[in-house]
Amino acid sequence: MMGPQSYIFERLVRVVFFLVNMVALYLLLRGHNWPGGGFIAGLASASSLILLSLALGVAAMPRILRFDPVRLAAAGLLVAALTGAAPLLAGRPFLEHFHTHLHGVPLLGDVHVGTPLLFDLGVYLLVVGIACKLIFVLAQSTQGLRALVAEEERRYSSPLEQPLEETAGPDDGKERTDAD
Amino acid sequence: MNLAIQPVLLPLLTAVALLFWGRPSPGRRAFTAISAGAQLVVAGFLIHLTYTQPPLVMPMGNWAAPYGIVVVADLLAAIMLGLSSFTALATILYGYCEASPRIEHPLRLPLVQFLVTGINLAFLTGDLFNLFVAFEVMLIASYALLTLEADNWDVKQAFPYLAINLVGSTLFLCGAGFAYRLFGTLNFADIALRARAMSDDPRVTALALLLLVVFGLKAGVFPLYCWLPNSYPILPAPVAGLYSGMLTKVGVYVLLRVLGTVLPHDLAGVHTLLAWLAGATMIFGVLGAISRNFIRGILSYHILSQIGFMVLAIGLFTPFAFAACIFYIIHHIIVKSSLFLVGGTAALLNRTDNLDRMGNLWRQTPLLGVLFLLQALSLAGLPPLSGFWGKYAILVVGLEQREFVLVGLAILASILTLFSMLKIWNAAFWGSSEECEVCVWDWRWLRMSRVVAGMVAVSLAIGLGAEGVFRVANRAAVQVLDQEAYARAVFSVTAKGTPAGP
Repeated sequence: MMGPQSYIFERLVRVVFFLVNMVALYLLLRGHNWPGGGFIAGLASASSLILLSLALGVAAMPRILRFDPVRLAAAGLLVAALTGAAPLLAGRPFLEHFHTHLHGVPLLGDVHVGTPLLFDLGVYLLVVGIACKLIFVLAQSTQGLRALVAEEERRYSSPLEQPLEETAGPDDGKERTDAD
Repeated sequence: MNLAIQPVLLPLLTAVALLFWGRPSPGRRAFTAISAGAQLVVAGFLIHLTYTQPPLVMPMGNWAAPYGIVVVADLLAAIMLGLSSFTALATILYGYCEASPRIEHPLRLPLVQFLVTGINLAFLTGDLFNLFVAFEVMLIASYALLTLEADNWDVKQAFPYLAINLVGSTLFLCGAGFAYRLFGTLNFADIALRARAMSDDPRVTALALLLLVVFGLKAGVFPLYCWLPNSYPILPAPVAGLYSGMLTKVGVYVLLRVLGTVLPHDLAGVHTLLAWLAGATMIFGVLGAISRNFIRGILSYHILSQIGFMVLAIGLFTPFAFAACIFYIIHHIIVKSSLFLVGGTAALLNRTDNLDRMGNLWRQTPLLGVLFLLQALSLAGLPPLSGFWGKYAILVVGLEQREFVLVGLAILASILTLFSMLKIWNAAFWGSSEECEVCVWDWRWLRMSRVVAGMVAVSLAIGLGAEGVFRVANRAAVQVLDQEAYARAVFSVTAKGTPAGP
């Protein structure tokens, strides 16, 4: 169901994928005091994955990713929530963050590290997961593919539900009339 | 002080854990029920603490107000947290009785927990923008839950809910921006201190009106309620119980908070407008209920009519009226949720909730009939049930303030409520016809009724122990209206950042 495959586009995307992710990493790391941060880095990474899905076909993405983007998002939410909740164990307020300066790190020199980076990492994972999932599901449904692969269907749908594509697929032809 | 964040953190972590858990199973259900029970215990402990002590304040990230965001748990917030945890626990248990884990939707429990996270954050927050965030968390979870188990027809009914709430969110954002322009702060306590000096500024009135539109829309006040009566009936019964109990009451709570704690108290025009809108809400809501012919539709319209009573109490704007409003919220949340659950059980027994095709329930299942009758009469306001005391207090305030027309409207609405409840009673419970089968062999109804019986017991306890509950509500009302004590509690917290208090 894919359009004509372009060799040039595919080769190019394989390079651009790494470039975009390096920019994303840069945005993630500088985000504490400058423009950037987990959200924008997550969007950048998600766009790299979406480019990949355009080049290789969205049906190939579950095989390439080997994980469910929703799980990635849930992991991100867990990381962010736990980073916020960890200070509670020490009797400190929710979401308190701590910083330290490291001197004489090899290759980098003086580094300022802090727990906000962990929180940002959580946001990053959340945004990557959700943005990818949204675009993949929309792309799959417009191409007549099943919106959820078998493993996801087991996890995110009830046996009482009809699969979406059996009633709303583009090849279905007949409109289901609403029972008023 | 860290206890104040637990009602938000517990459901959030539960929801994430449930996302990882995957397929529904008895273990997953037990975990959720234990978590919901723990939330109820935490909320109960918060009520106990805040009943005698000043509000609990937690500066998020250890940044002091007004620059940092604070979470404030005062008595009213704690009461609302208790109600939301109780309703969530009851509806979750009811959902367990309704369907086996094999056919449960795997995302329903996580989404319910996300919804509770948003609701609880809305109760706890002490900051206007954070309130917006809480509303968004709550609404996005509610959009997903609304369409989770929906077919094409249901999605069509859910669309107005989505569209109107998006408009409401946009207006809320405009209101927050306007408030920031006006006061230079979004912290509730700081706004309260700064707004007092400028209470004759017309811009404050304009802000109050804008916020009135936003929160009136969430609460379902007269011209803005069209999203509610068609969208709630499409929900499965347990989720409908949670929605009908909590979502609109978040709007009422925020009206109490904003008009009582945040904005100056001498906005008489706004309060009068609110009272008259409430009168219209009561009448139009109950007329809508009479026009409907299926249980969920009737009950959905009744939510609006009851919202009218609460908002009328806010509009009358005396400490006693606030206490009456809080009492009414306590009464209403439990009664309304349990009525939706009774309706769900009745629909299960008759295999429909269209009143034309229902009947014979009283003969075959008297237990369900008793439960329905107690809650329906409580909703209509018959003594000694809980609804009577709430309505009585509101009417007393109305008579004191010589608002005879509004009092008349309220009494009319109560009589019409009784009428529409009798309509359900006559058709579904009392009525008998040969072709209406009552599926008593479907053993689920008995367990479902037991859960409802628990809620009815709590509701009866509120009605019979009305004096004690009223004392708590009174204290909460005095605390809500005491802006100085609120600001003192918020600004007395020492944390990082410059203290900017008085």
